[in-house]
Amino acid sequence: MSAVRGPGHDPDDTFQFATSPSVRLPRDASPAEKIRLAVALRNEWLAVGLSAAPANRPAAEAAVGRLYEMAGAPPPAFEWAASPLAALGAVRAARSRYPVIQPPRSLVRQHMRQWPVAARLASLQSSLRARLDARIRRAAGDWPDSQAGNPGTVSMYGPEDAIASGVSDRSVVVATVGQSLRWTLADAVAAPLRGALAQAIGQAVEDDELNPGGGVIAFRSQHEAAWIGYYDARRRAGFGGYASADVGELDTWAALAASAGWWWPGEGLCVMAERPVEVHTEPLVGSHHGELRLHCGDGPAIGFADGFGANVLHGTLVPEWVLSGPTPGLIRAEPNVEVRRSAIERLGWDAYLSDGGLTLAASSPDPGNPGAALELYDDLPDQGWGPPARILVVTNGTPEPDGRRRRYGISVPGDLDNPVDAAAWTYGLTGELYATLARRT
Amino acid sequence: MVMPLMLTTATLADLTARTGLDVLGHLERQVTIPVTDGIQAQGDLLVIPVALLAADPLGRTRRGVSLVGSPRWHAVPGAGVEVLRAGTGGNPHTLVADPGTCRWTTGVDDPQRLALGALRTTGVAYLIHPEHGGSGIAPGTYVIRRQRERSGMTGRPSDFPHAGNPVRYVAD
Repeated sequence: MSAVRGPGHDPDDTFQFATSPSVRLPRDASPAEKIRLAVALRNEWLAVGLSAAPANRPAAEAAVGRLYEMAGAPPPAFEWAASPLAALGAVRAARSRYPVIQPPRSLVRQHMRQWPVAARLASLQSSLRARLDARIRRAAGDWPDSQAGNPGTVSMYGPEDAIASGVSDRSVVVATVGQSLRWTLADAVAAPLRGALAQAIGQAVEDDELNPGGGVIAFRSQHEAAWIGYYDARRRAGFGGYASADVGELDTWAALAASAGWWWPGEGLCVMAERPVEVHTEPLVGSHHGELRLHCGDGPAIGFADGFGANVLHGTLVPEWVLSGPTPGLIRAEPNVEVRRSAIERLGWDAYLSDGGLTLAASSPDPGNPGAALELYDDLPDQGWGPPARILVVTNGTPEPDGRRRRYGISVPGDLDNPVDAAAWTYGLTGELYATLARRT
Repeated sequence: MVMPLMLTTATLADLTARTGLDVLGHLERQVTIPVTDGIQAQGDLLVIPVALLAADPLGRTRRGVSLVGSPRWHAVPGAGVEVLRAGTGGNPHTLVADPGTCRWTTGVDDPQRLALGALRTTGVAYLIHPEHGGSGIAPGTYVIRRQRERSGMTGRPSDFPHAGNPVRYVAD
């Protein structure tokens, strides 16, 4: 398990993107030099997104004041909360400051001056991103690049090998900075946090209080380091500049992302959430681009000072009972297949299988693994419209120290009826090919 | 320390002495590790002769597995190459071979996105894992694939950051 603050650079209270001297590469910097710098900047932004340091309140309030000014509003009063959950409570208590945000369709019929400040800020942000994207597209158009359309080639290599293999630095920076930061901070950190927040207030994630569609708008600041860091790293690593006014705007969003947690802008009042006090991650195994996901086996993977947090096992948001006391009965009652799987891994496959809750569909000898069987079980139905599934129970080729061989289950598509075909599917092979397996250790 | 380059037949004891890697105490160290030019599994990894993957194995995509145009080959040093390490600082699968005999690349175009890379060896190469012991690989070119399982879409980011596929990798 990683340290609390994630890898690499650990931003302190003086961390200020707006004022830090920009790193300049020589004009003739090689693609490899540019990528090395971009990766270093990515790691700094990753540390920003995973920071568990107290908020830098003066810096955050100054940045929000500048953003309100850009949106044509006077600087607000501030109320700080220990967590996003506490912040949401403060927003509910000050509901008059938070007019319900209409869907963009209705908003366009009003003059922008009449929009709630949160809507104007959202518009400010999306316009900035559109201008930065347009600039990047134009620059890419100047340098046609046959490999640019193949992110697959980039993802199979580490960034420097990709460059050495002739992939353009422009393609590499998209994968190793843009996609990497987005996957870690937006998909693997902010999304489970949002899920935990929705559960804590007893709402489905789709419901309005957390959503722009009808409720108030939450800005994720620290976790917006994903897009902010991408544009920032591109500029600083020599992938092309932006209009100077846009650089100023980007630096303001950057200063805020580096200073505080989520925030809820209202009329004359802005509720700000502190950063978490603990963040536990693990690397995404086998990736070349530094992605991390939340994971902690003995407490919240991301936790705040007031006790709010998210329990996450290997990236899966799980209820508290999965950590504290999984039982076969609780597992059978759980509708979410990912939660079930996480809970079974905690309980142990032997304990779960010996409980007898699963129905054996088929069994056959395990190729290359003498004395062992492949057993195919019908899985419990998934919630909603998820496709049916089966569980293939396999046996390790090598004994444990106590002489027994560990068994565990692997989820496979429900249309597989033959255990050998199912085992083959897990490695992307046909059953005929897998049946020739010479040895399993 | 100079050791004789005799990896054609090796025991776990030979390999651990050669590489400095260790395996769990209960594994049999004195038995010669079987060497095969066929498919073999080591826990969540599968070693497959590249020729067997040339045609699309499941008929679901148009392409088979191939090495990219001019892959970046890296010589496998005496200390070995970590092919895959488990998430939380766990146990690595390490590829070892006599220096100068084996090369490794991650430049494999696998439509199913399971390939970690490929090895090309003129001598016998070995995969070593602390819990699974050793797997002997006869001269040839092989793809090493990870194992996957089906994943529900909810509550968990896909293990394919660059694809968005609803499967995830099995981890030992």
